[in-house]
Amino acid sequence: MAQSGPSHALKTSLPETYAAVNAQQPRPSYLYPTQEEQDKYLEGRPGATQQHLEVALEHAQQIQTQKDAEDIILNSILELLELPSSPTADPAAPSQEDTIKFKYALAPFRPSDYDNLILERNFEDSCGYTLCPRKYRKQNRGPGGGFQFKYGPKGSGPGGRGRSVDIVSEDRVEKWCSDACAERALWIRVQLSEKPVWERRAGDTRGTNILLLEEARAKRLKAPAATSSVSSVVDDLQSMGLGNRDRSRELALERGDTSTIRPDGRVNVNIRENQSGSQRVPGAPQMRPEDATGGSIEGYVPREHRNVDQDGDIDLLDQI
Amino acid sequence: MDGDSAHSMEAEREMTRLWRTFRTVYELLADRGYEVSDNELVLPLEDFRAKYADPLGYPDRTKMKIQARPTDTMKLKYTALPSKANPNPQPDCGTIYVDFCPDSSGVGTKQVRAFNHLVDENNFHTGIFITQTPISPSAVRLLSGVPGRICEHFQEQDLLVNITRHELVPKHVLLSPEEKAKLLERYRLKESQLPRIQISDPVARYLGLRRGQVVKIIRKSETAGRYASYRWVI
Repeated sequence: MAQSGPSHALKTSLPETYAAVNAQQPRPSYLYPTQEEQDKYLEGRPGATQQHLEVALEHAQQIQTQKDAEDIILNSILELLELPSSPTADPAAPSQEDTIKFKYALAPFRPSDYDNLILERNFEDSCGYTLCPRKYRKQNRGPGGGFQFKYGPKGSGPGGRGRSVDIVSEDRVEKWCSDACAERALWIRVQLSEKPVWERRAGDTRGTNILLLEEARAKRLKAPAATSSVSSVVDDLQSMGLGNRDRSRELALERGDTSTIRPDGRVNVNIRENQSGSQRVPGAPQMRPEDATGGSIEGYVPREHRNVDQDGDIDLLDQI
Repeated sequence: MDGDSAHSMEAEREMTRLWRTFRTVYELLADRGYEVSDNELVLPLEDFRAKYADPLGYPDRTKMKIQARPTDTMKLKYTALPSKANPNPQPDCGTIYVDFCPDSSGVGTKQVRAFNHLVDENNFHTGIFITQTPISPSAVRLLSGVPGRICEHFQEQDLLVNITRHELVPKHVLLSPEEKAKLLERYRLKESQLPRIQISDPVARYLGLRRGQVVKIIRKSETAGRYASYRWVI
């Protein structure tokens, strides 16, 4: 096993955090122990082998990665509480700097972490959408409260008349400063990956390419013009280079589908067709001389009959 | 006038509830082995009101800060057995600090950070943070993440009654490292062969147990009079 301790991406991705923590208190190092330390540990334990130790260390490393990831998420939540950087920022057109910071911090988040962020922002009296500087809507709850009517715009009711009415719980309304911010924040939420960050694989793009609602809308407006004609689709397909052998090998390499032993895939599959059957066409049964006497079933003569016939005795069945 | 009396009724109610919580906190400290004087343990409601009420009659939580030092017996229980690497071990306990959070709702990372800072600055070994409402998940993580210090959280309503005084809750006694070693020797066990108790168990939380400790649970038994069992804290 490689000495993979210090090379963990998570551990090194926020060096200043770890430096700060380690400066305060000399904590036990969780880097991979040296061979000497391992040998020393094994000396006092006659039942344990090097393999046991490696398995234990491997699992310890995994748990440590999880803890590190959770620490990073917690730190990100604390950082995102401070956004937006200016109190007059417009949530519809956030500053470039804040947007980049926001998206970068969101990469390891799961939807539940994002919910925590919203909760924390509400505790600080700000709107649940990170790039919005306003306060969230606070309403006085009646004694039986908890729900309220919500009216849609004019003409949104059934049949295009009146207004649509929705009954929503107040917690859901109170998280945001306005419906627009609620939409923006929930749009971010659906893009996050459910998978915890330590289980994601290198090629997993979900959760990393996060678009703000405004960006996504701008993109969608542009998109239909590009894909309208058949020829452009064909061009796109060609530019993807699906038929290109080099490209497909690259792809296989990236996906881990390749191996030196089996170039076609993980398992060597040989298809062998059944040779018989296909050449002879079955025909209708034909009349044979022995069929005329009866006692045969579709040309098959039971053995006992056959014996009798060969002996020249009278077939009882034939006489009936 | 009606509004006034309704106000004072509510203030009275809150005062009484908080007084009961306050008393449980002292009982908790005494049960854990901290130095607590007898008149603090049986503080009457009148004295509590005189000491901690604000002009409107509501309790003033900012005044209610408790500090306590461990007794010698507690220090003994928290001192590890001397080993080759550490021939002269120091007790792993120290001054405890209890803080009541004055915010009535929305306790999040902001308050917890302030509390952590306070505990760290005054070099308290353990801190107990008591709030009126549940705290957010990130605040819980933040509270448990102070390196080298132990920070615990309780809600006021968790401590309204002292659960260990209930007749169905058996007596839990923490074993010292020496007693633990003797127990394992007597029964020829490894500690992992003992039955377990979760660190989040209400009584374990009340006693502030830590991972790896062993508690002795003494139950009444119809046939044997008393029956002792042991639990390893995980």
